[in-house]
Amino acid sequence: MFRAEPLVRIRLLMLASEAPDAALELARFGIFSPAQYAPPALSESPAEPYRDAWLEAESRTSKLVERCGGLGELTIPEGAAAPTLADLNELNDWLKGVWQACLSAHEGEARIQEEVRHLDALEETLGKLERLNVDLAQLLRADGLLAVNIGSLPSASVKRVGEALAMTGSLVSTFDHVGDQAYAVIAGPRERHDEVRGLLSQAGWRELPVPPELRTHPKEARAWLADERKRVEELNVRECAAMDTLRGKYRSGLEEARLRVTLGRPLAEAATAGVRGRGGLAGLSGWVPRRRVDELKSSLEGRFHGRYWLDIEIPKREEAGQVPSLVRYPVWLKPFVPLVKSYGVPRYGEFDPTLPFAFTYLLLFGAMFGDIGHGAVILLLSLGLFKKMGKGAWIGVAAGTVSMLFGLLYGSIFGYEDIIHPLWMSPLHHPTQMLTLAVSFGVGFIVLTLLVNARNKYTAGHVEEALFDSTGLAGLLFYLGAVGGVVSMAGGADLATPSWMLAGIGITIVALYKWIETHASIGERVLVTSIETLETGINLFANTLSFMRVAAFSLNHVALALAVFTLANGMGTAGHWLTIVLGNVVIIVLEGGIVAIQALRLMYYEGFSRFFSGDGTEFVPLKLAGVK
Amino acid sequence: MSAYLNTRVSLYSGRLWQMADFEAVLKIPDAEMADALGSRGLPQLAAGFDHRDQRSLEQRIIAEVLDETKVLIRPLTGAARSFLIYWTERFEVSNVKTLLRGKMTGERPAALINRLTPMGAFGRLDVQDLAHAEDVSELLRRLEAGPYAGIVRHARRAFEESHDPFILDAALDRGYYEGLAHRAQPLENEAGAAFRRLMGTLIDRINLVWMLRYRFNYNLPPAQVYFLLVASHYSLPSQRLRELASLGSPEAILDGLPEQLRSVLRDAPDIPGVFARMENAASETATKVLHSGAPAIARAFAYLILRERDLRSVRAILRGRALDLPADDIRVAMYQTTEGIA
Repeated sequence: MFRAEPLVRIRLLMLASEAPDAALELARFGIFSPAQYAPPALSESPAEPYRDAWLEAESRTSKLVERCGGLGELTIPEGAAAPTLADLNELNDWLKGVWQACLSAHEGEARIQEEVRHLDALEETLGKLERLNVDLAQLLRADGLLAVNIGSLPSASVKRVGEALAMTGSLVSTFDHVGDQAYAVIAGPRERHDEVRGLLSQAGWRELPVPPELRTHPKEARAWLADERKRVEELNVRECAAMDTLRGKYRSGLEEARLRVTLGRPLAEAATAGVRGRGGLAGLSGWVPRRRVDELKSSLEGRFHGRYWLDIEIPKREEAGQVPSLVRYPVWLKPFVPLVKSYGVPRYGEFDPTLPFAFTYLLLFGAMFGDIGHGAVILLLSLGLFKKMGKGAWIGVAAGTVSMLFGLLYGSIFGYEDIIHPLWMSPLHHPTQMLTLAVSFGVGFIVLTLLVNARNKYTAGHVEEALFDSTGLAGLLFYLGAVGGVVSMAGGADLATPSWMLAGIGITIVALYKWIETHASIGERVLVTSIETLETGINLFANTLSFMRVAAFSLNHVALALAVFTLANGMGTAGHWLTIVLGNVVIIVLEGGIVAIQALRLMYYEGFSRFFSGDGTEFVPLKLAGVK
Repeated sequence: MSAYLNTRVSLYSGRLWQMADFEAVLKIPDAEMADALGSRGLPQLAAGFDHRDQRSLEQRIIAEVLDETKVLIRPLTGAARSFLIYWTERFEVSNVKTLLRGKMTGERPAALINRLTPMGAFGRLDVQDLAHAEDVSELLRRLEAGPYAGIVRHARRAFEESHDPFILDAALDRGYYEGLAHRAQPLENEAGAAFRRLMGTLIDRINLVWMLRYRFNYNLPPAQVYFLLVASHYSLPSQRLRELASLGSPEAILDGLPEQLRSVLRDAPDIPGVFARMENAASETATKVLHSGAPAIARAFAYLILRERDLRSVRAILRGRALDLPADDIRVAMYQTTEGIA
């Protein structure tokens, strides 16, 4: 829980024809994270064509499943083998055929929808055409001198089309707008109609077929429209039936395709990390937990009966940067993991701060927002939103509970300090004590971070940094000495001389280390050493004082409640309770939010920045389904 | 922020190539080419020089332009930022055309994706998804649901009516440049005459070259040619474009131009010649704007125009060398580059 699980690098060489099955086996194993592998001897990328074919098949299958819908849950048979490249190509051809069949049916549906929209527009247009006050039969005569078009085009193009049409001696007159389409009549000399036609096709013009009925009696036109609607409706029923037939016809094939695509996914995914090969050989590389190696060996043996070569290597210390981090967390701690990972992923071998983070974060939140009532509201809200927020709601539940606990200690309920007696003390009545406690907590927190950093540096092989740097043990010596000195000066202890000596030794070691580590001219070394040494002292001092905000926010919480009560007391009964309720809502939302952010800030900047590099790589195992 | 951008542009302008730089790169041995490109402010080209792959060369040139544009955009907000971002989008419109052509010829998705220009932080298209569309209609429908809906919607309707790839390309180009001119308008008011001059040289060149091509290479009727041009309020406003499109020969069109353009194009031998001369004139305008006290956005735009001109010439040199062409032939190609970078 405090550090990543020890991993080993495996290199698996097998027959290229068995690479899909090997990847599938590793995905079934469930805990293999592929990694870059490019030995010069294996100069080819045999999985690339496989990935390309798989991507095509996956894309087509997804589209078809989406269109056809209704496929049951995918079950993967125990001994199912992964498709070969030839299988995938064959599958692609089949899917293409199915897609084309479905596409024409789907396009038929789309055409019907379009026709329905068109009839709607036609009906709307009919009313307007009736008011055009022209004899349409005469206007649209095929043998007239004028060529007339009635139709629609994008509204944005009307001006441009009008200008262009003017060059052919034609006119455009719009008579309706529906959405972004303008309905217009275009009239011009028949001998230049070809030019007009070319221009209109370029302009996205859509001809509105005016039926003969529309050209005569409006009543007949409306009857014609009703008949058309009926016809389109019948067409729609036929198309739906055709689509259902297609669904029935291809359902089992699509289920098979989905299974094959799922089984082919592991090699396609592994190909992004790099599957190398040459001739008939292919090689996969990646990371697995050390404790599962024997299990992996027997699973490979069971599947390939010796037709493979497995190389296992423990990563060297200097390779730590390449190794992904696999950390297992108990269920209750998992909701806090995203908060840590938003700062960074722990590097392999680095101390994983999730557990101390969870405890400290909750402690800080509770200390700054201690109130039984407010904590209860947060708790209940989080429980209420559990379904929506998922496991993230657990953080709210825990924060609300801790807030209630601190409320008991502070004797505060919805800001009232006189309803229950504090089990410990009220921040408002003991501000100095609160500040002292907050700073003391900060000292303890910083000491912990310095120790963890020293440990991280040591395990990463940076022994000098662990011992002598400002964030290592020398920095810790200085910090403890300085704290002791300040406490003694304030009369809290009688250790001034040894404390200052300790601080002096610590800072001298830090200065010497900086001097040795700086490779520059004398002047620059003096400058760098003095500034960085000074910075060590200032930073630690500032970071410690930063924890005063914990006390400040606990006081702020009470002060806000007092402000609400003062306002409420100046009003009548209804106004009083309304102000109390609204005031508490503001406190919960505004102050609760600020405190949550402040606690996070303390953890990130005063804690993580001191010891947590966060530049690790996440362990992403090959999975059989549901992997990106 | 304009002080920062001005400084940044001034620093960048030191990267623009002089004639001596082109001559030097034309002559140096291959082994020294990467260093020469790197030392002349083209790290992307230097890094991939040994690839010798023309597609990769094109992609690296665009990556270089995008890298610099990213830096110039950083301090900008509002209309200026939106304009420069849109300026980079022509590379993505070019990707849209590649995708459409690929679908028309039934190219496989992997090969198609490989031919696309990586847009980095400027990319707005889900190329994986688009490349896996089954045909042009599906691709157009998907594009219409994406960031280029405005440009594509019109093109789709035109294509559905005609099924002519030329119409599709022309509609996409026109849609893009209409959008550019639209975004430039607020800046012409804010950034004044310098910016307007730059836009003017760009849109006038596009309109004139397209007009000549559509009218005399593709034999389209005047009304259709006019419709395919970009609405303009520069030296060639709509009324003038209509008059010019109605004329019957390239010579008549060149004679009908305003005096300023006529003098530039006098005796231009052919349409590529017209393009080259107008581009040279545009470069001169951009150089003047760059070295003037014009607003920062105008100087930044001028720098990008000049930088792309340089990169086109470098591309001509590298391509020519890869094909073992004689230096004189490369010089001709370099000085008379006839195609845009996009």
